Amino acid sequence: MPKVEHVKTVCRSCHGGCGVIAHVQDGKVIKVEGDPESPISHGTMCAKGLAITQLCYHPDRILYPMQKTNGDWKRISWEEALNTVAARFKDVIAAYGPESIIVGQGTGRDYESHFSRFGNLLGTPNILTAGHMCYLSRIGATLTTCGRHPAIDYANNPKCIVMWACNPQWTNPDEYKGVSFWRAFENGAKLIVIDPRKGFLAKRADLWLQLRPGTDAALAMGFFHVIIDEELYDREFVSQYIHGWDLFVERVRKDYTLKRVEEITWVRQDLIRKAARLYATTKPAGIHWGVPTEQNNNCTDFTRIAVGLMAATGNLDAPGGNVFHVPPPVRKVAEFSAHTELSAEQAKKRLGGDQYKLAARMTFITPKCAWDAVLTEKPYAVKAGYLIGTNPVVSRANAGEVYKALKKLDFLAVQDFFLTPTAELADIFLPAGTWLEQNHVAENWKFHGYVLARQKVVEIGECWQDHKIFLELGKKMGQQWWDSVEDALEWLLEPTGLTWEEFKKKGYLHGDQRYYKYRENGFSTPTGKVELYSTLFEKWGVDPLPKYTELPESPVSQPELAKKYPYILNAGLRTPTFFHSANRQIPWLREIRPDPIVEMHPATAEKHGICEGDWVWIESPRGRAKEKAKLNEGIDPRVIVAEHGWWYPEIKSCDHGWDVSNINMLTDNSHESMDPVMGATNLRVLLCNIFRCEED
Amino acid sequence: MEKVSLIFNKKNCMGCHACEVACKQEHGLGVGPRLVRVLEKSPDYVPIYCHHCAKAPCKEACPVEAISRNEQGIVLIDNDLCIGCRECLEACPFGAMQFEDNQEIAVKCNLCFHRLVDDKRPACMEICPTGCIYLGAKKCVAAQFEKTTP
Repeated sequence: MPKVEHVKTVCRSCHGGCGVIAHVQDGKVIKVEGDPESPISHGTMCAKGLAITQLCYHPDRILYPMQKTNGDWKRISWEEALNTVAARFKDVIAAYGPESIIVGQGTGRDYESHFSRFGNLLGTPNILTAGHMCYLSRIGATLTTCGRHPAIDYANNPKCIVMWACNPQWTNPDEYKGVSFWRAFENGAKLIVIDPRKGFLAKRADLWLQLRPGTDAALAMGFFHVIIDEELYDREFVSQYIHGWDLFVERVRKDYTLKRVEEITWVRQDLIRKAARLYATTKPAGIHWGVPTEQNNNCTDFTRIAVGLMAATGNLDAPGGNVFHVPPPVRKVAEFSAHTELSAEQAKKRLGGDQYKLAARMTFITPKCAWDAVLTEKPYAVKAGYLIGTNPVVSRANAGEVYKALKKLDFLAVQDFFLTPTAELADIFLPAGTWLEQNHVAENWKFHGYVLARQKVVEIGECWQDHKIFLELGKKMGQQWWDSVEDALEWLLEPTGLTWEEFKKKGYLHGDQRYYKYRENGFSTPTGKVELYSTLFEKWGVDPLPKYTELPESPVSQPELAKKYPYILNAGLRTPTFFHSANRQIPWLREIRPDPIVEMHPATAEKHGICEGDWVWIESPRGRAKEKAKLNEGIDPRVIVAEHGWWYPEIKSCDHGWDVSNINMLTDNSHESMDPVMGATNLRVLLCNIFRCEED
Repeated sequence: MEKVSLIFNKKNCMGCHACEVACKQEHGLGVGPRLVRVLEKSPDYVPIYCHHCAKAPCKEACPVEAISRNEQGIVLIDNDLCIGCRECLEACPFGAMQFEDNQEIAVKCNLCFHRLVDDKRPACMEICPTGCIYLGAKKCVAAQFEKTTP
């Protein structure tokens, strides 16, 4: 038997970070295991990461560059592929300017630094990411409020955890894996769960607040009402370190009585009071919040109120609270990204930049502006696209419009593993490597104080790790890059005094963590304080104080429409097996979850003659999708909960059923429905109706 | 030799299915047989797995004595002897016996016997993020279980 070699690396089947030991035999990964020495995951892994060998060696995976000619994909060399993309981009730049090229990524495969650098050096301000409604929006909101992202500090055992719209044990944990949460919970932490649906954590919680989907910001104001009313705040901190406290208190008292908050959120006043007391009086306490709070028009304001709660209760940068983790001294993603290389003149052309000012400051756009520019050629024409690890026809709001816009582009290059419905619209396909095929100083963009050594375990076909594709394509465009991926890593690591080889052996670096750093230098905001009253927003002419704004499409805001669409659709239910639109072709994972699931209360199902397992049409004013019914008593009868990200790789025609069970056929991306400073699209909450599907 | 047992603390099963994929990977199984499986009745999750019963109904049902129980109490099936009659699938009260369509034989959990020999824990247990799977001498496991279940 050939020898089996064990190689340590780091997973990236979701936002990643779990330590992995890959078993390699004859140049092939035959198995992956959790790395017990990982400071992040402590030996555990999830279904997605464990199934990586079925993804890497999947028969449908594209292993070489391809070009589409007359509707057919044909294999080409890397040289031909890169030359073609570079030539087409140069043509567009000459005729329309670099801003006519959209460079877009999905949730990313840990190449944000390289992706942004490529865009900046190309000269396009039109960087399309998920950032407007996922994670980066949180970073933007926290930057403007307290100067840095305060992540919950599980390592120091919070005594109370508020799990706000998040299920880190199943899905997409950013700073923290489920296992860190679980250790703190098992250590006796009190748990408050805020979730419209009763899941595992709601069942285990000391308090479960079942709110009306999307009303998180109002509920957070309700917490504040109790904290102010009962004087549960940290007086010293508030008087020394919060800017705009009195004005904020006035707003809370006036607009957010508990009665009013109950009306908005459906959460009983006594429960809000209990939860706020528990959070405010248990020290230390941390808030762990998730994307549902961001994927609506209250995106920025919710995070701002949440930071206010951390601050007012004295939990900000306190051990076991929400802390500013100190990163190890590697060069930062922002520096690598070369944002300063984008001229002020080009930056000014950022689509929607005047309207969505915080998004512009975070250097990205909201997708709606991209689709508008493609379809209407206003304010100028967008002619070409370069999409990396993203499947926007499935994952972005108003999918029908996305599809039309991508189809209209003169030229589109897509970089991915499979021919997804989005990739099928491309002219050039660039085959990317998975995390098993990647050398990287990983997790450098996260706010958890670690960088991890993700080392290449194998090479498969002609696939290149994304970083190498950016680097080689960048060079073809005449951009300044390093000779190799590893040379760039040496540059990132230089301040640590370690070489890439040494770092790989070490496995990870942890920053030198300190707490209460604001006591020395204040907060990194214009006033040096936590800005509940934002001086930046004031300058922008935006409401400087956070608030709850009624959802653009709800029974409250649109009672007439609600007659035809009587249910609140809570879209985007996560699963432990899929990551957004990924993994539908992985046999082990698809066996666990063969169908898209729509959950509803048994009484709701009965009203419509729907039984468990029936196919159901979910319909909104914009479109419909078909998913399979699952009954769940832990959902309000007025709410329908549906999975997102569905397409059918097994449908071999080039559309791969992208519009059949795609919940984003229903979602809205109108400017009126978005967050006013971030351009966050509402992927989560809208009005819908349901019908039993008569055909199969 | 002391008898060993596997037990799931259902209260702590959060339905992540990592055990299922770890098991498939460890035993090189494709789509079809699921030696461990978690049913979702949200918010409850119900693990289906082989209990390695003392009086194993699968063993008693097997007409060709392909199923045996070793001295550690692990119920094993001999692939070479199995005739694929599915009697054991019918007999198992937990739905833990599985069928492998390609080879047309019954398959079952062997508690990752090959890992136990190497002093490693079964693959499902090793990976479980909440640590809700226990293995050990029967008495120890029972004690552990009592400790974590109020």
